[in-house]
Amino acid sequence: MNGTPGNSGLERPATAETDEQLMVAFSRGSMDAFSELFLRYKQPLYGFFRRRVTDQAQAEELTQDTFFAIVRASSRYEPRALFRTYLYAIAFKILRSYRRKTALRATLFGNEAGSRQPVLETHSDAELWVRQAVAKLERLDREILLLREFELLSYAEIADLLRLPLNTVRSRLFRARMALRDLLATSAPKSSPTKLAEREECV
Amino acid sequence: MNTVPHPVVPERIMALLDGELPTLEARVIATHLDACAECARLAERLRSTSQQLSAWNVPNLPAKVEKSVAGLIDGTGSNLKTDGPALPMGLGRWTWGRRAILWGGTMLAVMVALILALPFRQRFKQETMSREEAYDGKLSQLAVPRPQSEARSQALPLNSPVTLSSPGVAADSNGLFHGLGDHVGSSFSVNGQPLTDQQSKIFSSAIPAPMIARTVSLVIVVKDFAASRSSLDAILARHRGYSAQLGVSTPENAPRSLQASLRVPAPELSVTVSDLKTLGRVENESQTGENVTRQHVDLAIRLKNARETEQRFRSILQQHTGNVVEVLQVEEGIARVRDDIERMEAEQTTLEHRVDFASIDLQLTEEYKAQLNPPGASVSTRLHNAFVAGYQNAAETVVGIVLSLEEYGPSLLIWLLILGLLVGLVARRYRRKAAAM
Repeated sequence: MNGTPGNSGLERPATAETDEQLMVAFSRGSMDAFSELFLRYKQPLYGFFRRRVTDQAQAEELTQDTFFAIVRASSRYEPRALFRTYLYAIAFKILRSYRRKTALRATLFGNEAGSRQPVLETHSDAELWVRQAVAKLERLDREILLLREFELLSYAEIADLLRLPLNTVRSRLFRARMALRDLLATSAPKSSPTKLAEREECV
Repeated sequence: MNTVPHPVVPERIMALLDGELPTLEARVIATHLDACAECARLAERLRSTSQQLSAWNVPNLPAKVEKSVAGLIDGTGSNLKTDGPALPMGLGRWTWGRRAILWGGTMLAVMVALILALPFRQRFKQETMSREEAYDGKLSQLAVPRPQSEARSQALPLNSPVTLSSPGVAADSNGLFHGLGDHVGSSFSVNGQPLTDQQSKIFSSAIPAPMIARTVSLVIVVKDFAASRSSLDAILARHRGYSAQLGVSTPENAPRSLQASLRVPAPELSVTVSDLKTLGRVENESQTGENVTRQHVDLAIRLKNARETEQRFRSILQQHTGNVVEVLQVEEGIARVRDDIERMEAEQTTLEHRVDFASIDLQLTEEYKAQLNPPGASVSTRLHNAFVAGYQNAAETVVGIVLSLEEYGPSLLIWLLILGLLVGLVARRYRRKAAAM
């Protein structure tokens, strides 16, 4: 459906090797293979975190952590599934851990979000509108929608990642899309982009 | 959304658009879409929603992250957060776990340091106290006697504060005070004025010889108990000592032991202890010495005063005449003073005896060798006994648990309730925060 989402498209070089082949080569010590994988996935992975974490610096750090984790675990890699699934599984684990820590810190020491400086980025009205609508979705529906629309994972991959039955993924994805369509249809942007950005919550 | 029963489920249309259907089913639904306006509209809406989502762009990954990961590949990975020097992998970030380990380690180190430092501190305190006590003792001894020599003409005020410039000062064979060891330069001073040799001689002659009541404690393990007992008697006879108290214990299937409180002349103490050590293997030894000089001096002065008082009473009785009542009062006074004198004399004798005769608390224990005893009860009896004991233990355990629950249950319940409330509050807050992310 949305085959080329935003600028999250891969910068595919002119190599014919698959991701899995590159990862196997990297696990055997090929640094070029890792560079190739990094080139292919740096932007999608950053997009994955950037769409889920409010703080830009945190998103950058989590992206970096994911690549570090890939490097650390390279010796144990076995091509049993797609590299993309493997990568996002690690990213999702890191994201969960980050969320846990942030929630715990906020519970024990108060909300830290208020102390952070908002990141000054330029957003179009349409973009802010979409972000706001997505933020209103139910958490699990939102996650499934994002994984499908931006990370382009298949239903089976999403089910595997979130440990859900395949039918649940399908029905929830449909529900999320319908809800999003309604939200986008009804809540047209009434505020200025700045105000929208201020109201924007973490997706 | 239209929920009227329809040959094609809407979710299948979505799956078709996502490329998630098998080829055959995809072909069927695609044909249906061409014919069904409602399904075509739904497909269009789904496409349009996805299209709208594509407006959500993400900026490019900053170059510093790329550089950091590239550094990792080169083995010179830099930390994104700090932009500091390269750190080995796994040490770049301080996670909560690592912080906890660091804090825990620091606390542990501090506790270990405190535990190690405590005995030193106590020893230092004890040393300081004993030094102060010894010094106070010297001062009091200095103040008791009134020297009658010509040195009195030097008008040395004995009640003036006498201070020791530094510790480690002692009188030499001529009675002059000199520093010892590292304290060669040390000296006494009165009112800040250093003492002359003449003055220091007076002080040293005023200090009586220390009276030390010595006590030695010995625990000895012997091989031959009977022979050791005989040797003990011989040692006591040789050194002119005696046993103030002696008890022997000979339990069945256990080592025999002897506990004795011995008294030996003080000069013979070290030789006696050496002889006793030859009886067997010394398991424990401790020696203490109690300085009773001050007590003895006090007692001597009080005794002297009491005797003088008695003497005065007697001279009054002899020289002055009065009525019967007055005579009786004086005689009562004499009786009272005499009573005090006798009591103090007894105390003095005891004190001197403690000094003259050192005390040895001796414990002799036999080196026990287990003996082969014939088997007792039969196996069946032992099994029966074990079963009964086990049953009793189990019953006692159950009763103990019930009693504990009765005793502490209500308090425990209250604490659990309070704890549960707190945990519940924190968990609810945590869930709320987690849901907001």
